Amino acid sequence: MIGSALTAQNAAGQAPALLSVRDVHQRFGGVSACSGVSFDVQDGTITGLIGPNGAGKSTMVSIIGGALRPTSGSVLFEGHDVTGKLPHELSRLGLTRTFQTSSEFSRLTVLENLLVAAPSQVGETFLGALRGRRYWLAQERARVGQARELLSRFDMRDKESDLAGDLSGGQKRLVEIMRALMTKPKFLLLDEPMVGVHPDLALRLAEHLERLRDEGVTMLMVEHEMSIVERLCDPVIVMAQGTVLVETPMRQLRQHQAVVDAYLAG
Amino acid sequence: MSGAVQFYISTLLVYLAVDVMACWALNLQFGVAGLMNFAFIIFQAAGAYTAAVLTLGSPDASGNFQSYVFGSSMPFPLPLLAAAAVGAVLSLVVGLITLRRLRSDYQAMVMLVVSIIATTVVTNEIRLFNGPAGLSTIPQPLADVLNLDPLDYQWFYVAMSVVICAVVYFFVHRITVSPLGRTLRAVRDNDAAAAALGKDVTRMRMFAFVVGGAIAAVSGAVLVQFIGAWAPGGWLYPETFVLLGAVIIGGRGNQLGSIVGALLLPVGFAEATRFLPPIGRPGLIDALQWVAIGLLILLFLWFRPQGIFPERRRTFDGSGTPNRAWTR
Repeated sequence: MIGSALTAQNAAGQAPALLSVRDVHQRFGGVSACSGVSFDVQDGTITGLIGPNGAGKSTMVSIIGGALRPTSGSVLFEGHDVTGKLPHELSRLGLTRTFQTSSEFSRLTVLENLLVAAPSQVGETFLGALRGRRYWLAQERARVGQARELLSRFDMRDKESDLAGDLSGGQKRLVEIMRALMTKPKFLLLDEPMVGVHPDLALRLAEHLERLRDEGVTMLMVEHEMSIVERLCDPVIVMAQGTVLVETPMRQLRQHQAVVDAYLAG
Repeated sequence: MSGAVQFYISTLLVYLAVDVMACWALNLQFGVAGLMNFAFIIFQAAGAYTAAVLTLGSPDASGNFQSYVFGSSMPFPLPLLAAAAVGAVLSLVVGLITLRRLRSDYQAMVMLVVSIIATTVVTNEIRLFNGPAGLSTIPQPLADVLNLDPLDYQWFYVAMSVVICAVVYFFVHRITVSPLGRTLRAVRDNDAAAAALGKDVTRMRMFAFVVGGAIAAVSGAVLVQFIGAWAPGGWLYPETFVLLGAVIIGGRGNQLGSIVGALLLPVGFAEATRFLPPIGRPGLIDALQWVAIGLLILLFLWFRPQGIFPERRRTFDGSGTPNRAWTR
């Protein structure tokens, strides 16, 4: 059963979910961080993942992103079992994550940060590099073009030659999102993307994420800021104490007594 | 110029070439890829021993007073190439042990231990490379073919070292300016983020480690064939820190910086102190030299961590072509 695309088929008979988490358990020594977590992320949604501190959200992000191998259970991406695959393997399949803390390449320029993320670069192998810039220049120029388009779209074109380490917290976030987009992801795993971002910039970031969703990028977003969740996320998965309480459309979230209890108790 | 001065200067130039190659290798590992290779000197030593035993001839030959393994008399440049190969293979083995699972601070500790183990083994297992006495009477490359007088041979060796340096530079430069170099720097700055963007971090680190190890070995081979002798006392673990200091002072991630660092620290420092009048008890100046090198590294890390020549900021022109170093 595990690994079959059928398990990802939901009751309504819709297309299989892009990402399915199936009965995931994660223990750290005697502590159980997740016990029996299952949920689906449907294609074309921004699915929210919320819950009080210690609910197991970050553990789930680590497992889906490949940083942690679950004690048991499985993760399916496009119907294939990707449990235990490493982060770089997942990224090559189209599943790219961002981080809760700033993770820019600080001594690279903003433009270089984006260029690093471009997949299958011919100048990125030993022989490719040794053949010299004539060999990789054409592709490099095309990639610079793509990166500059993204920079323009996020209003950061004038920062391209700044070192990423010198940017503000919010700008670093934007760089991280743009960088993830350079991998041409089908699925973005966003770990609290709005933390430390100026409210004005957060609004713009939200607009960008909506546009990305409309362009077909599916997202799973861990977020604490409820106004952002309400605006962007539908449906919403609520976790508490290592389990999924509910997976619900946004408009029905407040009707779930368990959610209210978890937040009040948590 | 008198013969003696020429002799002195040509010797310094060979030392400089050797140290520049070593600094480029260490810079690729530490400055570009962020690897804390505290065992760096053993890869230089591995190259030196390889070149030595492959030129010394059979250890069973009559009149041979040294014991060593794999003795043969290969013609130049085979010992040099063999040294590079041994450096690469040894790096691969050490890298597979240290670079896969360990965090960088633990990598550094393990490297230091590897360095000490290597010295201990080579010192005590006399059958390997003649133990603490080391190998000597290592023949000089092409000396019998060229038949030059000693001074001319010195200058020939300088020229040869410069050519080998140029070849090494070709490799290091092509790597660092390419997208590959950019990915190595990304791994250095944030390995988890690089992995999340599809980069195989372990593979990238192994690559820098192996290429650096091969270059280190070449530098050792060039050195040993020049001085004709090699013993464990010449590659104790603190020697790594002299080269590391040179890379830090010159400027991490900058090839020009590595040249300046090599000129200042391993070459300049050792030579300048040679001419100091003897003070205190014998060996005091040597000991103070280590103190001074340590202080110099600390001062730079405090006041100018980017070094004399900081890493170049890589920009692109309007068409998306990377700007060359000299165009900005």
